Amino acid sequence: MTNAKFDAADFQAPAEVNRWRTLALGIGGIFTIIWAIGCFFNVEQGLRSWLLGFIFWGGIGIGSIGILLLQYLTGGAWGVVIRRFAEAGSRTLPLLFILFLPILIGVSSMYEWTHLNDRIIQHRQPYLSIEWWIFRAVLYFVLWGVMVYLLNKWSWQQDQSDNYEDSAKFLADASKFSGPTMVFFVLVVSFAAIDWVMTLDPHWYSTMWGFLFVAGWALSCFCFMVAIMAALADKPPMNRVLGKRHFHDIGKLMLALVMVWAYFNFSQYLIIWSGNLPEETNWYLTRQEGAWGAIGAILIILHFAFPFLVLLSRDIKRNARWLAYLAFFILLLRLVDMYYMIGPSPRIGMHGQEVPFALSFSWMDIVAPIAVGGIWLWWFFGELMKRPLVPVNDPFLENAIEHGKH
Amino acid sequence: MDKNIYGLLAEFDTATQMVDAARAIRDAGYTKTDAFSPFPLHEIDEALGVKKSILPFLVLGGGVAGLLTGLGLQYYVHVIDYPLVVGGRPFFSLPAFIPPMFELTILFAAFTAVFGMLFLNGLPQPYHPVFNVPRFALATREKFFLVIEAKDPKFDYEETKSFMESLNPQEVFDVEE
Repeated sequence: MTNAKFDAADFQAPAEVNRWRTLALGIGGIFTIIWAIGCFFNVEQGLRSWLLGFIFWGGIGIGSIGILLLQYLTGGAWGVVIRRFAEAGSRTLPLLFILFLPILIGVSSMYEWTHLNDRIIQHRQPYLSIEWWIFRAVLYFVLWGVMVYLLNKWSWQQDQSDNYEDSAKFLADASKFSGPTMVFFVLVVSFAAIDWVMTLDPHWYSTMWGFLFVAGWALSCFCFMVAIMAALADKPPMNRVLGKRHFHDIGKLMLALVMVWAYFNFSQYLIIWSGNLPEETNWYLTRQEGAWGAIGAILIILHFAFPFLVLLSRDIKRNARWLAYLAFFILLLRLVDMYYMIGPSPRIGMHGQEVPFALSFSWMDIVAPIAVGGIWLWWFFGELMKRPLVPVNDPFLENAIEHGKH
Repeated sequence: MDKNIYGLLAEFDTATQMVDAARAIRDAGYTKTDAFSPFPLHEIDEALGVKKSILPFLVLGGGVAGLLTGLGLQYYVHVIDYPLVVGGRPFFSLPAFIPPMFELTILFAAFTAVFGMLFLNGLPQPYHPVFNVPRFALATREKFFLVIEAKDPKFDYEETKSFMESLNPQEVFDVEE
């Protein structure tokens, strides 16, 4: 039985996407040039700001892999309708590697541990050497690349299949692959988060760190996908697909991830607060003073309390537009959260000294995320246009569309 | 009409027929109505004009009460009744209080959800008049039923019965009290 009801040609991305794509490239290009000029004056700050942009936008791309694995594991209508958007996000991985190159090349210009040689760094030398660090970074991309390649391959073959058995088989392949791969995915994300962000503080460590990024990146990805889906929901072809209940379901998952984010952050805080050991409390002491303390309070109120209370409402979850506004709001605070992690960490040659807020905030912290974002969005929209916006041959597509109507 | 009547019950073959009939009943101004189906029908709330439940707000209230109970309990124990220095920390140490506060929030909210639901929908209910109609047993298998209760202000036996018959049901039954 072929699924003649859904024709791939009817579900191509609308022309707007191409316009957004051009706009994104224009903005990204201009801001990259501004950033490059800034780098000329201060390479270290330029690279740190670039890392901020990369961790934020890369989180959406890498989070897409997690969302893909998750929806293949759980099934459900939300997974069928979000799949193509998450696939497009996951296929930005080659671009993410290119965007990572400045950090890879400039590792010794921004990470303090590359310059220290005290007892702790000596002890960590077998793990924390520049060659090893670069090798691991490439390895992470290779492992993610395998996941992206296989998941997208099966989905593509499902689109091409002309009978029910084949399309069901490719779905089953992807689902079987997703279980064990989820474990590896979480491990790879944890290691990457530790290598790329945690080592900015050369001596500090936290065992919760990986989960902060697993949950945080998944939340970023969900918010971004909600914004894109809401923007397309009332235009053909997605107006035939997306219904209130899809947004309701995705809104519930956003609520869950907002809570998980807060839960992991609080767990880390509580463990460090209870232990009260100087080598651990350092990280929070810096971040509780002055402007950093204010940013921390803003995160608790606006990244957790406010979205949590708003997302409790059924009406807001069912309204694509309001949910998208909230998603934009959370995305903005995701960036603040990343800044709160990256910003106060010691500069090269400044280990053990206070980093005043005035010194750690730079105009490039705004320019670099826009530059990375423009380029990333350009690639994302390009990938989105390559395939139909729904998996047209998926055995559950019809059910998934019906599910959204009420 | 000599017997003591609870209401009128209409039987339908398909969910679509029942939902259409429910809309007609709502539009005719009946409010004391109910629907029975073998599986959940999401459109029936809207079709019958069922008001939104206040349960979510009760649950929110339960959650807030749990949060404050958790805070109050720990404050009373650690600050007022038996202050004890633990690890050199102040008596009022919010980070340590948060996990029990969270747990009590969940506990109170869950209790409110379960018992509030039972209170609002009147379950468990050992007796309900609709079971006096033998065919009503099919509501758990393949048939769909709508009932208009006699206490509805618009209810008039003859008029309501002919109205229900105009909705193309399989059959309309008198439900005895």
